[in-house]
Amino acid sequence: MKQAELVRILEEDKPHVKLPLRQFYGVVWSSIKMMFAYKSWMIMDLLSTFASVVMYYFVGLQVNPLILSESGWGTSYLAFSLVGVATSNYLWSCLVRLSHSIQHEIRGGTLETIAVTPVNMLTFFIGQTVRGYLVSLILLVGIFVVGIGGLGVHFQMTSASLMATLLLFILMLISNQALGLIAAGIVMVHKRGDPIAFLVASMNEFLAGVLYPLEMLSAFPLLQAVSMMFPYTYALDGMRRALILGASLADAGVLTDILVLSGFSALLAPVGFVVLNWGYRTIRENGSTSSY
Amino acid sequence: MYAVETLGLTKYFEKKGSKSARIVAVDHVSFGVKEGEFFGLLGPNGAGKTTLIKILCTLIIPDEGTARVAGYDVMKQPDGVKESIGWLHGETGGRALYWRLSARDNLMFYAYLQNIPSDVAKKRINALLDFFDLTKDAERLVKDFSTGMKVRVMLARTFLPNAPVLLMDEPTVGLDALGAIETRKLLRSVCKDLGKTIVFTTHNIVEAERLCERIAVMDKGKVVAIDTPLRLSEMTRKFRGVEVKVSGSQEDALKVLERVEGVKRVRNVRPEEDHTVIQLEVVNEDEALTRIPESLRKNGIRLIGIQVALPTLEEVFMSLTGGEKE
Repeated sequence: MKQAELVRILEEDKPHVKLPLRQFYGVVWSSIKMMFAYKSWMIMDLLSTFASVVMYYFVGLQVNPLILSESGWGTSYLAFSLVGVATSNYLWSCLVRLSHSIQHEIRGGTLETIAVTPVNMLTFFIGQTVRGYLVSLILLVGIFVVGIGGLGVHFQMTSASLMATLLLFILMLISNQALGLIAAGIVMVHKRGDPIAFLVASMNEFLAGVLYPLEMLSAFPLLQAVSMMFPYTYALDGMRRALILGASLADAGVLTDILVLSGFSALLAPVGFVVLNWGYRTIRENGSTSSY
Repeated sequence: MYAVETLGLTKYFEKKGSKSARIVAVDHVSFGVKEGEFFGLLGPNGAGKTTLIKILCTLIIPDEGTARVAGYDVMKQPDGVKESIGWLHGETGGRALYWRLSARDNLMFYAYLQNIPSDVAKKRINALLDFFDLTKDAERLVKDFSTGMKVRVMLARTFLPNAPVLLMDEPTVGLDALGAIETRKLLRSVCKDLGKTIVFTTHNIVEAERLCERIAVMDKGKVVAIDTPLRLSEMTRKFRGVEVKVSGSQEDALKVLERVEGVKRVRNVRPEEDHTVIQLEVVNEDEALTRIPESLRKNGIRLIGIQVALPTLEEVFMSLTGGEKE
């Protein structure tokens, strides 16, 4: 192409209207395109998740149903663990995905390229988390399809229990994503991996009762007390009440979980935004937007 | 009005390992860049060029002073600044692209963030890919590109928003000699045709001399001089002299030149392929420019050219920055 032609095309313009939703779409679109560039990673991830469901099926055969029923969670260990396994992917997405992505952007020098465009950095950061949510959604659907369709797990899926599950699920995302924002803000400044996010996610998975009833922790009061400090504990409890026991929003246990989760969300979400903003401002103050 | 203007711009950084000690990265820098001007920031590594250009594109928050780009204050109106600039960070050697996206998708993503309407963006992307000779590789992932190709994608991205001000940090770093020459040629001609204002950093003196209408020489965070390459040369010259190009016998020419009235001494003799360049220190350049051709002609020595001797930009740079150069 000749230079004159390029100049003519570049000079043809229309007014640029700032549309945050369109920018958000651009972030999500590019992020999903990149994900499809890692085809073998995606296939391995799907296979390993489904393999873990089958593994819990066999573990469930070894678990004494009395232990579960004494805790009030029915008799199917697979139903119990499936709720934990399916949602723990989301937990990791919420807590770790953003800080991983920020590390990657700083190392790659792309964070600066984004930061000099008119996009609001919060739009960009939140857009970056969507990919993790989508992958987790695929895994979640897959896990339930394998569990219910393939291994015969039975859940109480009435409209009331599903409504309660959905609300608890949304609150779980908000409260844990707020923790993820805090971790991302700290990672941006300290640039030392994301030990906080990793620690919180691992402790959550261990202490919130993903694979065992929390009642089993009664012999360890300190651990039980720590488990009560994680929003995920309440989300799991509520979702199990709804899906395994058929509880609705009117159930006192579900209602308590929703209230606690709402409290966590209301408290953590503003803190998350403040810490993320602080992190971004700090790296602009100390000139480390491209060093990790 | 200036397209880019700074006033007392200052940035401190904490010294590594000491929270109380700090270093001045940019030290009370003031300058103005006219609309359509090609302006260079020249200095050795650590001079403060990158910090300065990053302040201009809102990536770094200054501690003191003000800066305006396209009329927008970098602190108070960062969105206005971002909508008015195209940015290229050449030092990354193509890192600042998404390697798992194709060249076209990298540009489209940037178009989304820049709020460029889709139909305009698609047209521009096609034109830029074609202009930078990337059309046949447009759908390939950038990870498979050579460094030169990655820099061309970055250049295309810089031009995509058609912003009035282009801020470029070491745009030719990582390119081979031919790639660097082509990029310089392109920057000069395209930017002139589009009427862009360009501020770019370099530690390459030849690049600064060839591209820039004016240069700010930076050292230890300070701007030590700002002017055209020619005036910077005049400013720092330490002797009055002329440079004479002659063909034929070098010895004969030297004998004649040493006898010309007003010639104090021969400073330098540089034999070239088919002629010799002789630098002379003289009492008065104007008189020397008249007398020397006459004497050479009378003695049958062929004169190819004669001009006032000015220091090269390299000598200027060394003189202004205390002898240190990259």
